[in-house]
Amino acid sequence: MRAEAVPRVLRILRGYAFTIAGIAIGVGGLVTLGAMSERIVRFIEGGDRFVLGQISVAGRGMGMGAGFTAGGLLPAATVRAIAAVPGVTGVQPQVMLPLNPSTSQFLTLTQELVLGLDLAVLMPNRHYRALPVRAGRFLRAGDRRVAVLGASLAAARGLRAGSRLTLEGASYEVVGVLERMLTAPDRFVFVPIEDAREQWVAKDQLLQTVLASGAAALTAADLNTGAAVGWAEGEDPDAVARRIRERVPGLNVQLPSELSRLLRSSTAFFSALLVGIGALALLIGGLSLANTMAAAVFERIRDFGVKRALGATDLQLAREVLAESLAVTLAGGLGGVALALVLGGAIDGWAARAGQELFDFSPRLLAGALVFSVLLGAAAAGYATRRVVALSPAEAIRRGA
Amino acid sequence: MLRATGLAKSYRAPSGAPIRVLDGVDLAVRAGELAAVTGASGSGKSTLLNLLGLLEDADGGELWFGDERVSALGRAGKSRARGRWVGFVFQAFLLVPSLTALENVLLAARYAGRPAAEARRRALALLEELGVGDRRDHYPAQLSGGEQQRVAWCRAVLNEAPLLLADEPTGNLDDANGAVILDGLRRRAHAGAAVVVVSHHPEVAAGWGAVYRLREGRLEAA
Repeated sequence: MRAEAVPRVLRILRGYAFTIAGIAIGVGGLVTLGAMSERIVRFIEGGDRFVLGQISVAGRGMGMGAGFTAGGLLPAATVRAIAAVPGVTGVQPQVMLPLNPSTSQFLTLTQELVLGLDLAVLMPNRHYRALPVRAGRFLRAGDRRVAVLGASLAAARGLRAGSRLTLEGASYEVVGVLERMLTAPDRFVFVPIEDAREQWVAKDQLLQTVLASGAAALTAADLNTGAAVGWAEGEDPDAVARRIRERVPGLNVQLPSELSRLLRSSTAFFSALLVGIGALALLIGGLSLANTMAAAVFERIRDFGVKRALGATDLQLAREVLAESLAVTLAGGLGGVALALVLGGAIDGWAARAGQELFDFSPRLLAGALVFSVLLGAAAAGYATRRVVALSPAEAIRRGA
Repeated sequence: MLRATGLAKSYRAPSGAPIRVLDGVDLAVRAGELAAVTGASGSGKSTLLNLLGLLEDADGGELWFGDERVSALGRAGKSRARGRWVGFVFQAFLLVPSLTALENVLLAARYAGRPAAEARRRALALLEELGVGDRRDHYPAQLSGGEQQRVAWCRAVLNEAPLLLADEPTGNLDDANGAVILDGLRRRAHAGAAVVVVSHHPEVAAGWGAVYRLREGRLEAA
């Protein structure tokens, strides 16, 4: 009996080929739009997670205006003062620079950045103690003239572990490429802070003039655009940030919660957009699926009449329709998911050349789409069946003739 | 076996006015008896057959299968009664297009709750007997009209239902295939079934036990 069930199910599915195709298109649209929405959610959540994992500080002033640490110079003495504030567990000086300040990308949200890290200090970000490396390795203390690339930047430039990259006239060995994080670090070049400082000086003619004049008593260790600050277990990060503000003058200190709020308000448009995309996807995909499934049942109105004439009860017919609709919507749902994966994969393959990724086909999205399609399909089939069995068998046969 | 008293049925015209199709029909058919109902097109023959087979509800009157007053049953009860008591032969065959010939025949057993293995054996034997055994895995669209009616006939008699209702069973068939079906109807009656056939061809009813004519909503002996 079980051996006969497989070909029978396959035959049922063949009989519903157009219905399945219709459902697959609806679910494919739903999953594709949902994957775009997921991508935006991941982007926003990733940024939020990053800023809530550390206190970002910079010297007071305008400075480079790059990244999260807009401000002026953060000298070594100030870094030491921050480290002495109660509740602070680690301060990692950083240099954040635009990779190419001469392009208009400098003004965009997704600019490519060089991030110089002081590797003598452990990463203080609670949510990113170590960045996930896909190939090669991350930076180590003592490294020079080596770089680790974010996934999008590496893909856009066709670079991988072992490639070489020229930054401000100096050649760097790419020792690692990060996993795709769907957040800002995907477009970063991570280098040792010493190398980043050299690039900074090479990029900034004003800084070159100041250093050459000897007017300011600056050492290399003073050339920091900001720092990431960690807090002790049990401390309230906002309270620690306020404490730094109070005790160390001349700083721009970002409260993690405030930065998170700012980030969320700056991404409010995207949040609204993704809600719209999600709602649209549910509406279009749902209507398409429900309409296709209900139409498939109404098309068989004569068959229902015949079966009832042969003695089928409403319950028997409902069970049959439910089983068939589950098989059909599941097949259509799986087809739609496959369609979306193929389509999204092709588009992402094309977009990857520009270092972009448009879709995030998360397991929760795929599972949700399947459950949604099966439930909605069953509900639509159930509704249509109820309408059909409300007719007398003779009327059903007449209408289906 | 079958007893109908005072069966009435009206439909509504597009204007909303009621059209009385059956106006108090009385009919009794005993087990082993053949009854033919003739009448002009539109006289209500098919409607009468639908009421007798519980395919639609009458506006009035009573219907009995044996000692069971089936007209008083609810929807589920009527469905079960159809499966247990009635075999149908339709003019348009009404095979389910997505099922093979054998599966179409087996539908009748499935809803009557008969054991699957026994029903399959009998279905295969019937298909062989009617000369369509080699077509058992064919779909209706792959069968000729005569073959479809033979398959539909197998479905109608699979359960050996005590009541066999046939609506213009030879209407879409050539003479040879028509003869096969008419012969089958007579043999079912010989086997003890109550058989009711409606047709607007009086010659179909020639030589039958009881022939009735439906006129102006009432049944009269022909």
